[in-house]
Amino acid sequence: MDKVRIVRHPQRVCLKDILENVYDNYTEIGGQGEYSIDPSMIIARAYITRNVGKKTYKQPVMVIGQEKGHGEEFRNGGSVKPWGNAKALEYMKVAETENIPIHSYIFTPGSYPVEDYPGAAQQIARNIYAMAGIKVPVVAVISEGGSGGAEAIGLADTRIMLSHGYYSVISPEGAAAIEGRSSASRKASGKLVENCARQLKITARDNLEMGYVDRIVQEPPLGARPDHFEFYRKLRQEVILATDEIILSIRGVKLFRAIALRKLNNPKIYVRWSLSTKSKERLVWRRYQKYRGLSRWAFEDSSTGFQRFKNFALETGWSIYSFLRYEFFGRHQRAITHLAEDVQGEVHALMDRVTHRFSSLFKKLPGVKKDREDVCQLTTLSTWEAGMSWNEHCRYVSPQANQDKTLTCPNSRKSNCLDLWAPDLFGDFAGVCSHCGHHFPMEYEWYLFNIFDSRSIREFNAPIEASNPLEFDGLTHKLDKAKKQTGHKSACMTFEAKIKGIQVVVAMLLARFRGGSVGAAEGEKFIRAAEQARRKHMPFLAYVHGTAGIRIQEGTNGLLQMPRCTLSVRRYLESGGLYLVVYDTNSYAGPLASFLGCSPYQFAIRSANIGFAGPGVIRETTGLDIPPNYHKSFQALSRGHIQGIWDRREIRNNLHHALMTMGGEFLYYR
Amino acid sequence: MKKHKVLIANRGEIAIRILRACQDLGQDFVCVYTREDAQSEHCTEALKHGGEDSLYRISSYQDPNEIFAVADHSQATAVHPGYGFFAEDFRFARRVVQRSRKLEFIGPSWKIIQDLGDKINTKRLARQLNVPTIPGSDRPIFDDLEAEEVARSLFNFQIEQGIEQPVILVKASAGGGGMGIEEVNDPDRFRNVLRKVKNYARRQFRDEGVLIEQRIFDFNHLEVQILADSHGNVVHFGTRNCTVQSTGRQKRIEVAPGFDPSAVSYAFDAGKVLNDVIEYSVHMAQNVGYNSIGTWEWIVSPTGKPFLMEVNTRIQVENGVSAIIARIEDMEVDLIREQIRIGLGEKMDFDQGSIKFEGVGIEYRILAEDPGNAFTPWVGRIEKFSWPEHPWLRMHTHIPRDRVYDIPTEFDPNLALGIVWGKNLKEAQKRGLTFLNQLTLQGRNNMGENLKSNISYLKEKTDSLLVF
Amino acid sequence: MIDTISILNEIKQAPYKEITISAPHSGRIEFAVDQIGTRVKGASGTWFERPGTLLARLVREGNPKPVYAPENGEVVKFHDVNDREFVQAGTPLMTIRHFLTKQEVMDIILKKALHLFNAPEKGRYYFVAEIDAKIKSQGLRSVSVKEGDEVLILSRMKRETTIPYHGPQGIIYTSYFNSNESVEMGAPLFGVCPEDQVKDIKAVIDKIQSGWEEQE
Ligand SMILES: [Zn+2]
Repeated sequence: MDKVRIVRHPQRVCLKDILENVYDNYTEIGGQGEYSIDPSMIIARAYITRNVGKKTYKQPVMVIGQEKGHGEEFRNGGSVKPWGNAKALEYMKVAETENIPIHSYIFTPGSYPVEDYPGAAQQIARNIYAMAGIKVPVVAVISEGGSGGAEAIGLADTRIMLSHGYYSVISPEGAAAIEGRSSASRKASGKLVENCARQLKITARDNLEMGYVDRIVQEPPLGARPDHFEFYRKLRQEVILATDEIILSIRGVKLFRAIALRKLNNPKIYVRWSLSTKSKERLVWRRYQKYRGLSRWAFEDSSTGFQRFKNFALETGWSIYSFLRYEFFGRHQRAITHLAEDVQGEVHALMDRVTHRFSSLFKKLPGVKKDREDVCQLTTLSTWEAGMSWNEHCRYVSPQANQDKTLTCPNSRKSNCLDLWAPDLFGDFAGVCSHCGHHFPMEYEWYLFNIFDSRSIREFNAPIEASNPLEFDGLTHKLDKAKKQTGHKSACMTFEAKIKGIQVVVAMLLARFRGGSVGAAEGEKFIRAAEQARRKHMPFLAYVHGTAGIRIQEGTNGLLQMPRCTLSVRRYLESGGLYLVVYDTNSYAGPLASFLGCSPYQFAIRSANIGFAGPGVIRETTGLDIPPNYHKSFQALSRGHIQGIWDRREIRNNLHHALMTMGGEFLYYR
Repeated sequence: MKKHKVLIANRGEIAIRILRACQDLGQDFVCVYTREDAQSEHCTEALKHGGEDSLYRISSYQDPNEIFAVADHSQATAVHPGYGFFAEDFRFARRVVQRSRKLEFIGPSWKIIQDLGDKINTKRLARQLNVPTIPGSDRPIFDDLEAEEVARSLFNFQIEQGIEQPVILVKASAGGGGMGIEEVNDPDRFRNVLRKVKNYARRQFRDEGVLIEQRIFDFNHLEVQILADSHGNVVHFGTRNCTVQSTGRQKRIEVAPGFDPSAVSYAFDAGKVLNDVIEYSVHMAQNVGYNSIGTWEWIVSPTGKPFLMEVNTRIQVENGVSAIIARIEDMEVDLIREQIRIGLGEKMDFDQGSIKFEGVGIEYRILAEDPGNAFTPWVGRIEKFSWPEHPWLRMHTHIPRDRVYDIPTEFDPNLALGIVWGKNLKEAQKRGLTFLNQLTLQGRNNMGENLKSNISYLKEKTDSLLVF
Repeated sequence: MIDTISILNEIKQAPYKEITISAPHSGRIEFAVDQIGTRVKGASGTWFERPGTLLARLVREGNPKPVYAPENGEVVKFHDVNDREFVQAGTPLMTIRHFLTKQEVMDIILKKALHLFNAPEKGRYYFVAEIDAKIKSQGLRSVSVKEGDEVLILSRMKRETTIPYHGPQGIIYTSYFNSNESVEMGAPLFGVCPEDQVKDIKAVIDKIQSGWEEQE
């Protein structure tokens, strides 16, 4: 708790102090005190001068970070609005163009959870997605790293943490509020907050041990204050060293050896901070690998050694196959196909003329007419293939349909909906009010049966199991309960399936498993699913049956899944994949603000709620009163957060349609 | 017969007829009503014959939950849906028999209601049994090329039939009640119309399928009254002609039998057409395992070709006009009573041979409406409603005669049904006019204007009944 | 002119209105409020999103449907219905005494004191252009009307007809319609006050504004 108090102290060092003291000079971009699109996010072009021998070098950097301003009201405590994060993104891209490193400074308790355009979650997702591929070195310094707000500028090649800072999935107060929800008092007791803070392992040392930060900068015993010049010197050294190291590690191998050896002994050696094209690629690949390797100890994998070997063999096999099929053969085949199509077109046109003449002759022959009539069957029974009927997929009976009771539609007041009988509603209507079209929640099994071709579902990676990496009180028990209840080992089910014959890879977040929250196991499964889709050249569908956010009891292990999963999605998309997201019931927070929100094709089922933070959290953190329909999918569509709204009864058709129109013939791969 | 308590899930004259039939059969009943309908005679009758516990106020006739709440509280054991409301709602029928406190549904089994409630399915069932249906497609068509092919051959087909100006209809297959239907009389315009209907259907019903059918002009609307029990017995109660309709296809006069070759001359063999439609209907009822009262609706072209339109799996308003010409052991028939007996599991205690037909029946539907102004309903207060009784007249109404009555605007505007009988068409027509002339129906609305009724329209139509 | 002072005194005698809560549909009633004198609250929140006090649950087909208090007030009477008894739709359950707010009192006084011009037909209404312009620039009470003036346009079934004013000459004191919504036949459209009485009405309104104590 002391840590939180130190970090929040108005006298604590803030970004402006750092700009003044760590950098040799700077120009603030787009802000002058409260005159800024968002005064809690500041951008500065700064430089560091280095004297090497007789020569002086000015090394420019883009500095981005939250500003708490020693408690100035308009800084909003470093809680950045969506447009503040958008500004940050804009200047990250500028840095990329200018080929200069980015230093980001994280001083935020969390993002300001409003949905106004560009939207808290969607903008953070955009930032993370962009940072996943940004082609300049990024060094992040964390003082107060609260949840999504931190991730918005935190996906860095090197993360340095101040020794008195914290880095956490949620503010300790927030965690306590959620944990203590069952207790009578609304305000969580100090003891509970402290307990939560300890259990979430939010300190610099905790995060260093878990591998989520790379280095710690020691602060004075009561935390860094504006006049601690020794601290600035240390920090300056660290950010320079971190930037140098990143650059050196990706330069050509020879150069690296020669210089790095010298450099380690002599920090005075100058390293140029701009990158060549080749190095840029290595930088991004290295970043991907760094995050791919994180948090792998934070879940359990109960598959046997043999299974693992088999999986490995299969994966390798698929990689080779795909290479041959799509890269090698595919390229040639496409050329051949195009030629063949041209020829076919010609032949067709020719034949058409011939057959046309022939058929008009044909029609004149007596006796032939009768046959033609039968073809159209104007008065007799026609054949109707069974497969054309929609009912084919309705064999699953929802357990909700087995109760003799009625339900009231939430819109009954407005739309005069009559109460619906459960067997009708869940058996016949797919959980849709027959009067107003409101969608009641359906269990995920319904989707498995009604979206995908029957018997086409093949689950994979089922043995990966959610665990309790921080040994958080009670989580193990809760997880066991959820596992028992659902028969699944995590909230993410990954499988291959077909939609009207089109093979897809699906990652489904199950609302019934701890609210569909995402922890290390879920993240890992999601990443492996994306990898599988990439390897097998299939479209990738994230079906969000519901998600409450990152699983807070896993602390930063959960939070890290935001950048991890986004990196894998980006890798999939950049190799030509088609990534669709469908939100069903309620989808909030972290996952939305990263690997889901970054999809260019996000669809919601009517009546879904989509947003960054729920109404309660918004009221608590911002004091704003939000209307009851604030998070409804139609609002999300109007704000531009999603790309369409589907009726649940139409998902199968719509998904198929989307796959065909967005992917077309060469759907899965360019 | 086991003792039952029948919940009458309906209002107006049909509720009264069902209530009386229950009494005839010695069964208990319970009625429901809504706030707007408190003055209806069905409430008075329920209280008179069943006492205070036989009448419940509900919030709406359309809300099945109200019906079941009352059924459980009043310990009802069976439900009679009447016509309209839940009569052809297979989900309601299914819930009646599948809920935890099960009831008897007086009507066909829900599966039959579902099957025959689907027009495409009915058409395909008919074709399977070689029952004639309207020429055209019998399944939804999604493919444009296929649709054009069907349209083209349907135009050709009509030309071959000697029709000079063929017209086809493009219908949204998921639609109903006249929604999403367009007409095409020029093959070149077909593609345009198809697009239009498909777009409409996609927006309205989320289903692009279309049906393409011949449009038949100047047809007569015939019905075959079928009665079947759950033990495999099927009989018919002859035919009706329901061709006299107001705008919006609302029936105004029904005549039984459907044609009368002894009094009117037809361009085709009318007797044979009647026999054919009866035979087809009975055949189909037997094959689908029909097990209640029901009506097979036909259209007959000016050249005497019958086509099955649809099957109504309920008691119909005009059941009385068939009953009035039927005799079993010289006794007049009550089809509602037979429907209830069968619905409660009884076996039919007569066969086709014991049903005799005698004379001609005409049913007049009396409404407060303005036939001169597109049959606009008239709303106001009925001050006087009376008629002299006759042995050949059956009157069914829920309008009280001992007090004034404000016509509620929420419901079907029928005021009364007058059914007359005559030994032949001529006598029936004469008695019909006598009845209409003697009928007193007076009232005023808020603005002090006099009641407008369709009596003169009914008189005017009486002369030409059954003429094709 | 109507004696507004005595109306006000009359209202003061019984500064409330009684609302009878009836069963909205059939079902078994389970009272959640069972004491006479219980204070209840109507729906609240910026969007009235928080429902009022739960008065009872009406259980029908396994679905306990809540019955909420429509207004602030106090339960003054329970009708002759036992807890857990089956009730038919429309059965009166309890009576709530709702104490009038300032606004409601003003509305009552105005409706009595002003000459109300009622909708001759169901439809949508709006002021004719000149009047509308005057209202927009100078406020409602700047408009004076006399018998036969064309004041309103009735829009019905895509046809527009001008409606002449009938009644005493005066200024339009308040209007009750919204041009986006259809008005039922006979519902008041606006209230007119003869010019010499404007002062008196103003005085009464001011008195209510300052002197009326809202009871909970
Ligand atoms: Zn609804």
